[in-house]
Amino acid sequence: MTVGKRAVWALTVLGFAIGIALVPLLANSELNDDRELWIALDLVIGFGWIGTGAFAWLRRPNNRVGMLMMGTGFAWYLQVAAVTDVSVLFTAGQAMSNLFVATAIHLLLAFPSGRLEQSVDRLVVGVAYLMTTVGSIVPIFFFDPAEFGCTTGCPENLLLIDANMAFFESWFDGLSVCATAILLSVVAIMIARWREASPPLRRVVTPLFAAGATLMAGLAGLLLIGLFGMEEEVAYDTIYYATLIPFGLVPYLFLASLVQARMLRGGAVGGLVATVGETPGPGGLRDALALALNDPSVELAYWLPKSGEYVDARGRRVELPTDDEDRERMHDEIEAAAREVYDVTLDGERVGAIIHDPSVLEDPDLLEAVGKTAALALRREQLEHELRAKVQELEQSRARMIRFGMAERRRLERDLHDGAQQRLVSLALDLRLARDMIGQDPGRAQAVLDGAADELGQALEELRELARGIHPALLSDRGLDPAVETLARRAPVPVKVEAKLGDRVAEPVELAAYFVVAEALTNVVKYAKASQARVRLQRANGEVIVEVADDGIGGAEPRRGSGLRGLADRIAALGGMFEVNSAPGVGTTVRASIPCE
Amino acid sequence: MSKRVLIVDDHAGFRASATRLLECNGYEVVGEAADGAEALRLAEELEFDLALVDIHLPDADGRYVAGRISRGRNAPAVVLISSRDVGDLGDSVERAGARGFISKAELSGESLAALLA
Repeated sequence: MTVGKRAVWALTVLGFAIGIALVPLLANSELNDDRELWIALDLVIGFGWIGTGAFAWLRRPNNRVGMLMMGTGFAWYLQVAAVTDVSVLFTAGQAMSNLFVATAIHLLLAFPSGRLEQSVDRLVVGVAYLMTTVGSIVPIFFFDPAEFGCTTGCPENLLLIDANMAFFESWFDGLSVCATAILLSVVAIMIARWREASPPLRRVVTPLFAAGATLMAGLAGLLLIGLFGMEEEVAYDTIYYATLIPFGLVPYLFLASLVQARMLRGGAVGGLVATVGETPGPGGLRDALALALNDPSVELAYWLPKSGEYVDARGRRVELPTDDEDRERMHDEIEAAAREVYDVTLDGERVGAIIHDPSVLEDPDLLEAVGKTAALALRREQLEHELRAKVQELEQSRARMIRFGMAERRRLERDLHDGAQQRLVSLALDLRLARDMIGQDPGRAQAVLDGAADELGQALEELRELARGIHPALLSDRGLDPAVETLARRAPVPVKVEAKLGDRVAEPVELAAYFVVAEALTNVVKYAKASQARVRLQRANGEVIVEVADDGIGGAEPRRGSGLRGLADRIAALGGMFEVNSAPGVGTTVRASIPCE
Repeated sequence: MSKRVLIVDDHAGFRASATRLLECNGYEVVGEAADGAEALRLAEELEFDLALVDIHLPDADGRYVAGRISRGRNAPAVVLISSRDVGDLGDSVERAGARGFISKAELSGESLAALLA
């Protein structure tokens, strides 16, 4: 809940004014003997809670702690009003004199996040509000101050319907039993929470919880004294006033912890700046943040914009804690320690996240200062990480190109062995046969020689084909356009060519573009079951763009098959882009753009 | 003297040329196999005196096939062949149980006779 600063200031002024306005009424009240003490309690407690509440509220408008503190200050004035002898104030005060206890319980159980995280908290706080409002208004209708030992200057109970002291007292006893149970539950919850708390959280909550537990225990004690009717035997009033001491101290303890944190912060951030300047090693930045935030559990996550995920300093994936609802559910189920996330940004760009203990939220200014300092270091480490990833990618690509090269050599050896070499072997045998025959059967010898000549022709053609696969002579002599047109002519399916490159480009670029067309057309013939294909060659924005599309069955997978993978690496080595679109049923389009300037 | 021959080689062109050449030199080619499995099957079925086995078969190492055939019935002679040079093959030829090795391009009646003599 966010309230404008003006409203907070207005409430503060109002709160101080009420406190001051009550002073003359207390000074003249016939109702109590400790007038000076009540004036002091009115001002010290009222101003303390309202002033500190306003400070906290202005500083952190989204956290309810400030609002609850201020509310407690206002509720306290009801208790003060109950000892005045102005009838209307007396009546209102009597009706809700203990509301400040309910708001204090609310604050204690919601500290430091400002939220009631668990269902038991909400139950206890709800019952406390019910008892201190409805629960204490009901008996007022039957309460006549005159019957309650009031002798002189009694204020009038404006809500009195029917004086019934017996009903009033039994209601009050029942209420006291319930209230004792609630107060002791609050003490138990606070002890349990304190034991569960992480060390930094514990440091933050200890003074407040100690004061709160003392207040609750004191109030419970007073209720028990009342229940057993022992008011006369013990110094009831003294115990009551003593109980109010921790209550009055709370805002000042709170203020002291803020001031202390603010003084510590300068040193903490200074230390962090020094560490960041010294290029901390892996994990060094995290340690510096933990020190600066006074939270040893701090984790640091680096944002990788490319892969859209968080990683830790060693590059392992990090899952950020889930959002509030999930966390609350998790908390109820497995009592997991709650974690908060601070997004670190630099110039509006996300660079990482600090995962920290909720106690760190107590000092948002520190978190902000630490986050801003960390952003620079995170950005630098982020760039280093990207660089490492790039180097790794290059190393992998280089290894693939070497493997691809070796596979190509094996393929060439195989092609030579199975093709031209076998034809030459047959040719040798046929020539020997012809030699053996030529004496007795010249006709058959001639037929064998004719066959041998055919074989030789085919061997030559296979050798040419192989040579073109290694380095096409036409490409070096006349450039990409005619070389690609020749490739298209040779293909067994009709291929339409739009080659508009014109001028020559650098040889590695020509070669890469040529092999894109050659490999793509080979795949069209081998796998695509296409009826036709189209090759487009053009130059745009300093790039040669090659596109081969067919109308076949699609489904080509560039990750499999060494051919397309080898092409992708070859294009990447030239700083270009290579993509294959091959949805089943719509044909395959292979597209490469290679920088040529 | 008519010698019955089994030719084991995955290139049909070579098998055809070798058959013509061997028959012209007085051999009788009784069977052709394109791979090791077919070779071993034919070795069980056919009667032959000599097997020419390519070292590089698509499904098996010719040396293994040669060893199996040379231990079979009537122990026919086995000659390993390859389009590679004998220098590329090392001493594995003798160990395979083969009578010897002839480079494919040098196959002739004389070279076979010299090896089997």
